[in-house]
Amino acid sequence: MSKPKVATDWLAGCAGCHMSFLDIDERIVNLIELVDLRSSPITDLKEPDPSGVDVGILEGGINNTANEEVAHKMRKRCKILVALGDCAVFGGVPAMRNFFKIEDALRRAYVETESTDAEGKIPNDPELAKPTRVRAVSEVVKVDVFVPGCPPSADIIYYVLSELAQGRIPVLKDERLQWH
Amino acid sequence: MATITINQQTYEVPDGITVLQAARQLGIFIPTLCDHPHLTPYGGCRLCMVEIEGFRTLQAACTIPVSNNMVIYTESDKVKKAREFALSLIFSERNHFCPYCQVSGGDCELQNAAYRLGMTHWPLQPNWQPFPVDASHPYIILEHNRCILCRRCIRACNELVGVNTLGVANRGARTFIIADFEVPLGESTCVSCGMCVQVCPTGAMIDRKSAYLGKKSEAKHVDTVCTGCSLGCGLDVLMTDNRILSIYGNWDAPVNQGVLCKVGRYYPLDDERPRITRPLMRHDGELKPTTWDKALNAAAHALKRQATNSLALASARLTTEALYVFRRLFAEGLHSPLATTLNGHAVRPLVEVLDDLGEPFEGSVADLDRATSILVMQADLANHHEVLGFMVRRSLNRGTHVVIADSRENPLAHLAEVTLTFKEGRQTAVIEGLMAAVARLGLGRVEYAEDAVANLANAAKATGLATDDFLKAAYQITRGEKPVIVYDPAAINDATAIKALVRLAKMIGATLISPKGEANSLAAAQLDLVEPLHPGTYEVAFVALGDEIPSEALVAALERIPYLIVQASRESKLTARADIVLPVYTWAEESGHYLNLEGRLQEAHPCLSAPEQTQSNEAVLRQLAAKLGIEVNEDWRAALVQRVAPVVIAI
Repeated sequence: MSKPKVATDWLAGCAGCHMSFLDIDERIVNLIELVDLRSSPITDLKEPDPSGVDVGILEGGINNTANEEVAHKMRKRCKILVALGDCAVFGGVPAMRNFFKIEDALRRAYVETESTDAEGKIPNDPELAKPTRVRAVSEVVKVDVFVPGCPPSADIIYYVLSELAQGRIPVLKDERLQWH
Repeated sequence: MATITINQQTYEVPDGITVLQAARQLGIFIPTLCDHPHLTPYGGCRLCMVEIEGFRTLQAACTIPVSNNMVIYTESDKVKKAREFALSLIFSERNHFCPYCQVSGGDCELQNAAYRLGMTHWPLQPNWQPFPVDASHPYIILEHNRCILCRRCIRACNELVGVNTLGVANRGARTFIIADFEVPLGESTCVSCGMCVQVCPTGAMIDRKSAYLGKKSEAKHVDTVCTGCSLGCGLDVLMTDNRILSIYGNWDAPVNQGVLCKVGRYYPLDDERPRITRPLMRHDGELKPTTWDKALNAAAHALKRQATNSLALASARLTTEALYVFRRLFAEGLHSPLATTLNGHAVRPLVEVLDDLGEPFEGSVADLDRATSILVMQADLANHHEVLGFMVRRSLNRGTHVVIADSRENPLAHLAEVTLTFKEGRQTAVIEGLMAAVARLGLGRVEYAEDAVANLANAAKATGLATDDFLKAAYQITRGEKPVIVYDPAAINDATAIKALVRLAKMIGATLISPKGEANSLAAAQLDLVEPLHPGTYEVAFVALGDEIPSEALVAALERIPYLIVQASRESKLTARADIVLPVYTWAEESGHYLNLEGRLQEAHPCLSAPEQTQSNEAVLRQLAAKLGIEVNEDWRAALVQRVAPVVIAI
């Protein structure tokens, strides 16, 4: 049997979940024996194979049209989609801006923030993705495995990946279920 | 007994209890959120839903009573689905994102409930409706966005404290917790007792002093006694490392049953005066660190030389053990002309009454929670002994009739059915008038041998009150089986009036309860340490100040005394001018016993380990006694019962 192919990507998150993934330390060697890590934001190949992968992992919520595209592409190209971390599962910290209007959030970020001068300007190039309400990945595409945590600990990530690598759907409960 | 079947097992349970109570007694877990064991069931969160045969819909276990032959399922698929749905709805209402909440990771009952159901995500996303954050209060932040409207805070405010500050406004998704008529909590009638924080299941009630400083679920608990007043409430002190995370009321404590006031919960953490961590002695006009041996030798030397001109004062918040050594050392050993406690006047009138009556005449605090009518006689229970005040306030929930008699405006007057505001100094006349009025109405339980009509008229004249007021008050305080009279001996400060109160109590079958100043004032009285501080030509003063912040009056009274020895935990005006300063433990480091206002001897346990160079109050006094060649035995318990007390002392 060939090793299951895994692809990861990040959306509106802080990369902390990927950092936590790297915190599995030397266990990554075991993992590499079990899976074929194809693409990720921290490797050379950035996009999942057009021919498809077995497991797709998304970190972060979906906060603009570009994130939407990435999520759809990942969903299309993977068999099992994993939402990794609180932002992907719930919306997380970026979703705080949903309590405000997008225009207010943009003005705060690009005009009123202390580090911009009085000439601050909200970017509006047509090339840029359009900001949207921040959504959990499951609001945009179907998610098969939810791994909450901010970030999920390295142990939990290792458990999830090794279960998936061995063809099982991981069940997060008891001490493995953490939203914080 | 009722026979019920839960999850296909049959049990016998008492009649009248709820399905939830039955399940708990049987060790069967049913998840809950709005339920709290010390509050009336509310049935709001729908998490405790169970399936009962014969019922069309699922039922809330917390409110439905058991009945004979009831068949209950607590874990059926239908139940599980309903619980997850109820939780999903709660999560969708407000901001329940865990990573930035101080109770996440063990302290949140909402999060714990979701974990228990194995919820990995929310089936419904939040509705993104922002709610305000009320940070107007000095101790509590009300974070409405995390509120699940379980109303535990409201119920605690009403049922346990009787203050009724908290309530709700609006309906449906717009419902939210308000203080009074929607004013900021800090500007409301809130008494800062913090019971709402103690019962809040989520992070909606934030304790400013403990938020983000540690998890309550991982804290070490120390069961000890509050030294804020003579009620002696049981504390559940939550510790992380060598730090107090927060102070909770101990639900199992017989005196307060979980309830605390701000003096117990917040004030102890407010004292930010610098600690004294080494013995200090004055050299060339300046206080300099020295060794314990040198400091104690110098203190002993000064006291020995001027024993007959020595003044010894102790805080009435010291442990009984320390007060006992204090008396032995100064009153019996050195024969100091005056050895007393700082707040002795609070119990002094009672000592005078006892000289006459010769037997205990007061009852237990528990009677207050059973009282059918309460007379509050010159006791300001909103500004001291607040938990006693809470008991009076909450008694209104069960229809107790409250009468307040005071020469000043009493803060609890709004609760009273009758308020007697009388001329200053006419307390005896008021009590005599009440007795005459009770007799006039024929409601006394003992015969009244005097002329009720004439006495009533005289009392009215003396007090400036109408005879009708007396009759109304007499009617109210005799309604029901169990009247209670709460009076403050320090405010009344008149043995004749208190003796009259004792007669009134006998006449109407009332229990007498009185606040007694500081945490250990009653022990001080039993040890004869309640003389007032009278002026004299003292050459040396020894002040066992403990944690006390010395009053301006005390500082002024000691100003002219040439040599001052102060035993204290923190810096103050008094330590600043002392010649010797002996550093001692704080209340949180001390261990020892306190005698509360109803004669209950309670043990305080240390929460913190003290700085290395400090010692317990008792240890310092013992060493000083040893240096002066004064023998002190261990039998403080016997000393407490050497003389008769106003209450039965249970040791």
